[in-house]
Amino acid sequence: MSERYSFSLTTFSPSGKLVQIEYALAAVAGGAPSVGIKATNGVVLATEKKQKSVLYDEHSIHKIEPVTRGIGMVYSGMGPDFRVLTTRARKLASQYNLTYQEQIPVDQLVQKVANVMQEFTQSGGVRPFGVSLLLAGWNADEEKPYLYQCDPSGAHFAWKATAMGRNHVNGKTFLEKRYSDKLELEDAVHTAILTLKESFEGQMTEDNIEIGICDSTGFRRLSPSEIKDYLASVS
Amino acid sequence: MMGEPLSDYKAPVQVHFSPYEFNGGTILAIAGEDYALIATDTRLSQGFSIHSRESPKTYPLSEKTVLGCCGFHGDVLTLTKVLGARLQIFEKDHNKPMPTPSVAAMLSTILYYRRFFPYYTHNLVVGLDEEGKGCVYSFDPVGSYEREFYRAKGSASAMLQPLLDNQLGGKNQQGVERQAMPLKQCVAMVKDVFTSAAERDIYTGDSIIISVVTKEGTKSEQFPLRKD
Amino acid sequence: MSILAYNGAAIMAMKGKNCVAIAADRRFGIQAQTVSMDFDKVFEMGPNLYIGLPGLATDVQTVHSRLKFRLNMYELRENRRIKPKTFMSMVSNLLYERRFGPYFVEPVIAGLDPKTGEPYIASMDLIGCPMETNDFVVSGTCSEQMYGMCESLWEPDLEPDDLFETISQALMNAFDRDAVSGWGAVVYIIEKDKVTKKMLKTRQD
Repeated sequence: MSERYSFSLTTFSPSGKLVQIEYALAAVAGGAPSVGIKATNGVVLATEKKQKSVLYDEHSIHKIEPVTRGIGMVYSGMGPDFRVLTTRARKLASQYNLTYQEQIPVDQLVQKVANVMQEFTQSGGVRPFGVSLLLAGWNADEEKPYLYQCDPSGAHFAWKATAMGRNHVNGKTFLEKRYSDKLELEDAVHTAILTLKESFEGQMTEDNIEIGICDSTGFRRLSPSEIKDYLASVS
Repeated sequence: MMGEPLSDYKAPVQVHFSPYEFNGGTILAIAGEDYALIATDTRLSQGFSIHSRESPKTYPLSEKTVLGCCGFHGDVLTLTKVLGARLQIFEKDHNKPMPTPSVAAMLSTILYYRRFFPYYTHNLVVGLDEEGKGCVYSFDPVGSYEREFYRAKGSASAMLQPLLDNQLGGKNQQGVERQAMPLKQCVAMVKDVFTSAAERDIYTGDSIIISVVTKEGTKSEQFPLRKD
Repeated sequence: MSILAYNGAAIMAMKGKNCVAIAADRRFGIQAQTVSMDFDKVFEMGPNLYIGLPGLATDVQTVHSRLKFRLNMYELRENRRIKPKTFMSMVSNLLYERRFGPYFVEPVIAGLDPKTGEPYIASMDLIGCPMETNDFVVSGTCSEQMYGMCESLWEPDLEPDDLFETISQALMNAFDRDAVSGWGAVVYIIEKDKVTKKMLKTRQD
């Protein structure tokens, strides 16, 4: 019987809400904080990467992933769901590359990923993703950086700067005070670290945060030693 | 279960013999006011291999008649041998070399005699006519022939001919009448068009030999082309 | 006889200095019988982008409309003009999707980059294998003749007027030696802020 009917679990509540999506957003809001800031010459993504046990080999786990040479992604919420979306995003990006012999623009990738996320709110036998994404990329046509957020509902928007996950309200308030349109990438990295620090419990080290930067040359994850240098200059 | 009757019967293997080959090569002839010019490349090939880089496809038939002949090299050799013999007989009989227009007429009959097993050759005959004017005769493999002002034959003929139409025939040029080109200019153009043909046609290259027939006789010059 | 030569066509494109040109004959025939002399084989795909489709007439029109559809979808989705090179990939993809039952067209693409104005030309076989060059591309039933003409007449950095003269002479003299193409021609000279379309009267035989 159950194979014959495969209804979507995401059904409207009488008040017109999709509570499954609200639960997914709750999962995001309870997840580890992450921050994205757009500067004049690039974008920075930063996130908290606290491990439950000191026994983890923390260098084997990454929360910031490159999707293409020029686009990177970070999440707040459920790690395994992020892995699925990373794979899908990479597939979509190379599919685009295969059809047009051209790197996918960030806005196009965001739309495609958001489409996937939307499908998971309406398809049978699945649940919405328990993550929100921040995507950073460089638009080669306009020669401008972009920062996008993608939610479990499939909603997506471009930011100048934003924070997600635990304490995101405080993070955003902090960014509202600190953000400037003239911010350069180096300063943006500092601001990102400071935003994470706002709600950080315990000592922040190069092993329990992760940073990715994106500029006209592409996207890359900073190495622990680079992060260490930034942390030294922040404090 | 029994198989189909004769299911394992196979017809005897037949190997077909093909009597023709294509050995490439391009020839080009132009008739001037008091000269006739014929140019040939010197490559001899078969498929993707080059047999010779020094094999011109023009054959002096007499002091003032030159034959350009390309296609199947085996037939080229036979045809030139037959022609040579016939011309020798004529010279002995008449005590003079055969005039160019007569060579052309005779070649036509030689080709037509092989109407149903033709010489696979593209032919051009150049020389001077009775009035001392340059003449070019072009032939199809079975002897149909025509006197013309200019003609390209062989593997790159399709590349050369439209350019000759334009430059010598004045085609598609408004208010331009066809006029004889001075020899020097003509030779320069021939070098140009062969260089272009060698660029695209794998059966044309290595070098060209340009022979010019005037009332003084025949003079030849060689010019290099690309060798790849 | 090849299906590609069933209707007859001759198309070529050339690069010049900050400009490109694309030219085509106007004949539509069925084998040796000429049916009309006002058949379009070159299509506008953007302000500075053109495609020429020589080959089977029915496929010429089908490929044109399917391409136009894909292009419209692309430009709506991405909210920007397509680059000639990207468009080439799009054409290549469309053709390769029919790898084992191909459209019988061998396209020629000519255009300028919408941002930089960089000249671009390319041609393709019927299953979408692309060829990009820096001088000229030809396609159609008299490609040998066109190669002979282009190879002799073309030179680098031609100004728009000289480019027009070169491509016109190259095309006309080439198709005059082909029985199934000709009967008039059309030439587009594409410059950054101007496209000139010229109709050529040629011999009608």
